[in-house]
Amino acid sequence: MEQVVYRIRRFDGEKEFWQEYSFAHEPNKTVLWGLLKIKETADPSLAFVAACRSAVCGACAVRVNGEAVLACETPLDALLGRFGATLVLEPLGNFPVIRDLVVDWEPKAVRLAEAKPWLMPRDEFSAEAGCRQTQAEFKKINAQTNCILCGSCASECNKLSTGDDDFYEPFVYTKAGKFVADSRDGAAAEHLRPVLARGLWKCVHCQECVTKCPKRVAPAEDIAALRRESIRQGLTDNPGARHALAFAGDITNSGRLNETTMAVKTDGLLKSATRLPFALRLLRRGKLNPFHFPAPVEGIDGVRAIVKAAKEAKE
Amino acid sequence: MQTFDVLVIGSGGAGMRAALEAGARGGLSVGLMTKMFPTRSATGMAQGGINGVLGNADPTDTVDKHIFDTVKGSDYLGDQDAIAFFCGQAAAAIREIDYYGVPFSRDAKGQIAQRNFGGQSAPRTCFSADKTGHVILHTMYEQCLKHGVKMLTDRQLLDLAVDGDGLCGVVALDIRTGTVVPVKAKAVVVATGGAGRMYWSRTTNPFTSTADGMAACFRASIPLKDPEMVQFHPTGLAGTGILMSEASRAEGGYLYNNAGERFMARYAPEKMELATRDLVSQAIETEIREGRGFGEGMNAYVLLDLRHLGREKILERLPGIRDLAITFEQVDPIEAPIPIRPSCHYTMGGVDVTNFRTGGTALAGLFAAGEAACVSIHGANRLGGNSLADIMVFGKCAGVGAADYAQAQSREAGDGALMAKTAEWEARLAAAMARGGGPAVASIRDRLAEAMWNKVGIFRRGAEMEEAAAIVDGLAAEYERCAVGDDSRVFNTALVNYVELGNLLAMAKAAVLGAINRTESRGCHLREDYPARDDVNFLKHTLVTLAGAQYELSYRPVVVTEHQPAERRY
Repeated sequence: MEQVVYRIRRFDGEKEFWQEYSFAHEPNKTVLWGLLKIKETADPSLAFVAACRSAVCGACAVRVNGEAVLACETPLDALLGRFGATLVLEPLGNFPVIRDLVVDWEPKAVRLAEAKPWLMPRDEFSAEAGCRQTQAEFKKINAQTNCILCGSCASECNKLSTGDDDFYEPFVYTKAGKFVADSRDGAAAEHLRPVLARGLWKCVHCQECVTKCPKRVAPAEDIAALRRESIRQGLTDNPGARHALAFAGDITNSGRLNETTMAVKTDGLLKSATRLPFALRLLRRGKLNPFHFPAPVEGIDGVRAIVKAAKEAKE
Repeated sequence: MQTFDVLVIGSGGAGMRAALEAGARGGLSVGLMTKMFPTRSATGMAQGGINGVLGNADPTDTVDKHIFDTVKGSDYLGDQDAIAFFCGQAAAAIREIDYYGVPFSRDAKGQIAQRNFGGQSAPRTCFSADKTGHVILHTMYEQCLKHGVKMLTDRQLLDLAVDGDGLCGVVALDIRTGTVVPVKAKAVVVATGGAGRMYWSRTTNPFTSTADGMAACFRASIPLKDPEMVQFHPTGLAGTGILMSEASRAEGGYLYNNAGERFMARYAPEKMELATRDLVSQAIETEIREGRGFGEGMNAYVLLDLRHLGREKILERLPGIRDLAITFEQVDPIEAPIPIRPSCHYTMGGVDVTNFRTGGTALAGLFAAGEAACVSIHGANRLGGNSLADIMVFGKCAGVGAADYAQAQSREAGDGALMAKTAEWEARLAAAMARGGGPAVASIRDRLAEAMWNKVGIFRRGAEMEEAAAIVDGLAAEYERCAVGDDSRVFNTALVNYVELGNLLAMAKAAVLGAINRTESRGCHLREDYPARDDVNFLKHTLVTLAGAQYELSYRPVVVTEHQPAERRY
């Protein structure tokens, strides 16, 4: 391969357009190297941001062929091998675009602040004496501290793509989760309440945030941990927690779900009633039988033993 | 016009520590201006750790030892009163940021873990694996969010505005709109980081370390102190200059030449790889020069070997280092040694701070902290782990100093100087954007880096530096007619690069001037034509001041209290 082509989605502040740039291939280079090459030898007006070029500052995240990556650490040769000589570069998804590949972080910072992402130390600690924490407790937050706020998780989040009114960027949950998991923090509920109020139970488990994170942070796991902690803290007065508890109850009772009671347990009688038309349609098609109360499955004792073991393992 | 009691410029550790200190006080309006999103700063790239005498790993460690190590490390160019103050505050600063949420690696008692670092007589470097700067930076950001610090992101500092009555504020380029905006402030803290990008292609620094605050203060007639003192980190990756933390040597890494020899035995028989950065860098370059390196010319290197540490220790203590080596040098340190070579790392010199307790400068209301400032505690060579401690200790001091000043200051500055500076820059930037033809910004920048690396690098000679001075002058003349190449008002990064290059040129000229006139060798400043340290004539700080268009040179004696200069051996 002698020439590489970057097909870039550009935006000048008013209109969007596509532009192709071609440059000579060199081995062992990165996506960022190509962008710098274009800017310095072909078109100074191409706008993107980068700072550390060593995958720790998070500035240079862009979408290449539909996937968010850090331009600075992503080897060009591997991409060219997979996709051929032309790569499509776009700004991160789920961000307002300012120009070309530059996105606007200001609204994201406002949303991040809502989750109160700062340590609320336990009373036994002080600014003068510092804190105590075991190495094992430190390790519980070590993964989350790798977050560099690059926005890759937000870019590819399928839930966020449907709108951000009822869901945060995945990194917001990771930040909240970091403090909930920090043994030095004494106010888990303070971090839990804001994320519960916005989307904690609405993650669709697509795992895009986990697979796209360049720093091996796993926001989806942090979301799961926050859910568990919220139930442990008794913050169960919400459809998500009720649904999870009803689910667990059904499995323990009979080894299978009772679809009819599930809706009532999750949403309450009143809200479930609004779903009556849907339930009637299901009835008509023979997909719902309100008089069916499933008997325990064969081997229910085994199922209950598993549930018990899982509970003990978590505690 | 946007107006603040305290305006902090720069969102690295020093700037955010200052901003949250002023913000936490309450009752003051505090702004934090930065040219990118706050967490993109160079602080996040610091890997190894932060020094302070906690006595966790070694109960016999003392503040006096930390003071002496720092004085000796500075090759006696550090001011000993400031160093004593700094070392006395460092432990408290570390406990405080633990309380703020910095996640530290821990020892068996649950205390903050500490390890050895170069040039230290005890293990006193606290760390969070090998991402210490990253976690400090993010914790400072979290605290700024908590304290409601107003963030002004995507704003490039252009100049200070000063009138007959004193400091009025600053003017900045609002990168989003391409307009020059005045920002009025009673007190300003300059914490814009270093000037490593003078050596563009061979530096560990981010693209953003372009001397913005140093140059702005310099243009406002604040002296630059010791601008010739530039630290070269011994272990930059051979191909890219990307940093391999000093922790890699601290955890026990070896350096080998092409004969398979641990060559540090020749240069620092006691400390070996854990000698100070200036000495290890000079040793590596000597090996390469004398034909004992691998490869040739700009591509020459020696090897950093971690294999004997074992897989487990590398994964536990140096995971980030391993990732960087794999990604950027295609080498897994568990399996093979890493090709490394020194890379420009840190600017010891900077804005002349005249009151280390407040970060105050010669201009009332103007404070400086962090790498942008020169207190001086690092002198001619900074110890690893002292820069993160520096930004936490002196960032806080500057925050207190600026907040105190703003509270006591009832005068509201007039708009005159701010509007005049705004108009001046508006015209200048418009002219630069309109210019067709002319040399490209990147071309001037690359030639500057080449001249600095080859002629004002690790080994220095008077004649070569005179050549470098002429080259810098020539480039500065070219700069006046250079082409930006983009006339858009929306997020014009080419225009930002143009402004940055102007700052680098000013800083480079000052650095070369200081280096030519310091006819001795001290710390990182190694003159082959003057190989000895000269305490009789040069136990003093260089001060470069702008008078009209002239760069004027003067000196100030180093503050020596307890430790008389002695020969430096490791």
